Amino acid sequence: MILNMDGTRPIYLQISEWLEREILNGNFESDQKIYSQYQLAEMFTINPATAAKGLTLLVEENILFKKRGLGMFVTSNAKEIIMNKRKNQTLKRLVLEIVTEAKRLNVSKEELIQMINDVNTGEAGE
Amino acid sequence: MSIIECRGLTKVYGKTKALNNLSFTIEENKITGLIGRNGAGKTTLLKIIAGFLRETSGEIEIFSEKPFNNLIVSANLIYINDQMKFPTALTLKEVLHVCASFYEKWDHDLASRLFDYFSLQPTQHYNDLSKGMKSTFNMIVGLSARCALTMFDEPTTGMDAAVRKDFYRALLKDYIAYPRTILLSSHHLDEIEDLLEDILLIKEGKELLHIQIEDLKEWAIGVQGLTTTVKEWTNNREVIHSNGIGLDRMYAVIKNDFSESEKQQGKAAGLAITPVSSSDVCVYLTRKTKGGIDDVFIKD
Repeated sequence: MILNMDGTRPIYLQISEWLEREILNGNFESDQKIYSQYQLAEMFTINPATAAKGLTLLVEENILFKKRGLGMFVTSNAKEIIMNKRKNQTLKRLVLEIVTEAKRLNVSKEELIQMINDVNTGEAGE
Repeated sequence: MSIIECRGLTKVYGKTKALNNLSFTIEENKITGLIGRNGAGKTTLLKIIAGFLRETSGEIEIFSEKPFNNLIVSANLIYINDQMKFPTALTLKEVLHVCASFYEKWDHDLASRLFDYFSLQPTQHYNDLSKGMKSTFNMIVGLSARCALTMFDEPTTGMDAAVRKDFYRALLKDYIAYPRTILLSSHHLDEIEDLLEDILLIKEGKELLHIQIEDLKEWAIGVQGLTTTVKEWTNNREVIHSNGIGLDRMYAVIKNDFSESEKQQGKAAGLAITPVSSSDVCVYLTRKTKGGIDDVFIKD
């Protein structure tokens, strides 16, 4: 299952993140119709109201827009919004965690940057 | 439109109050989980809604009608529990045909397909079925009846894991195709929570919480850290659960009414803040005594 059903993370957030990934991966283009709340509910065996909450969240963030009676569609700058959001929220949070952990382990700033560089070059070599 | 409306509903058996001044409303076409410990009053409540029992005091309306001795109510709802009685002289297939004549919206095609899928034998008799097979048959009746109000009381008793999973999926698929009001009682909130829209948590016949299931997941937070820091941070808050870890650390669960900046301060002070699953919140809230099982083993 794509969703993490351990009960600690709200399902509607997982749904909106899953849809964001689908858009980033190019499975849904601008102005394309996205899954309905009922399709999502069936796909993941969840309550349709929960699926709707995940969709509404993306409408509020201008990643999706509603066409009356037709469903939800991907906005023209959806990809950009998602990428900016991930950079400013997810990546920043991860960096904060890394820096905190490094301090706890007495890893110097230089050493940490070296570790990041190593990972970067490692990936480039693959 | 509200399907169920209770105001001050009370049911007394001898000296025990099974339901104690219960008030709530359930809206049309929602799936609500009725959650509570053993003896919390879940079955009593469902039986009053179904019109099997009469309330001692208070008011209850189902489809704007009083349910006790009411034909409109009984024609439009079905109550499934593990004490279903079916005529012993009839075979399972005959029972399904009889059911068809009781419920206006009965889908016999669905009933037959489920019957075959779960490998029930047409010539078998209900009383010869195993516990799990009885539950499976009950579930088929409950789903196929397509009643405007469908209530399942511990529907998965005795079912194996595969059948339980199939049941939840069948329930959801049929609900999407034919929306109706569903009440589902279970001890296993973690199993059914994804299906639910709302949860009604009762304790000792009283309503504790009636909220959206997704809000329940964010209702409480767990904090872990040095005992002194945790105590300081949770001062003046209602701690619904706590236990010590190692020599000087503890874990506490509190209602999540902290602001983001308060949480940041807590993290900066070395606290680990984690979400608490809905089933854990329910366990903590419905605990009958303060403290936990560990306290039983403390001898002083």
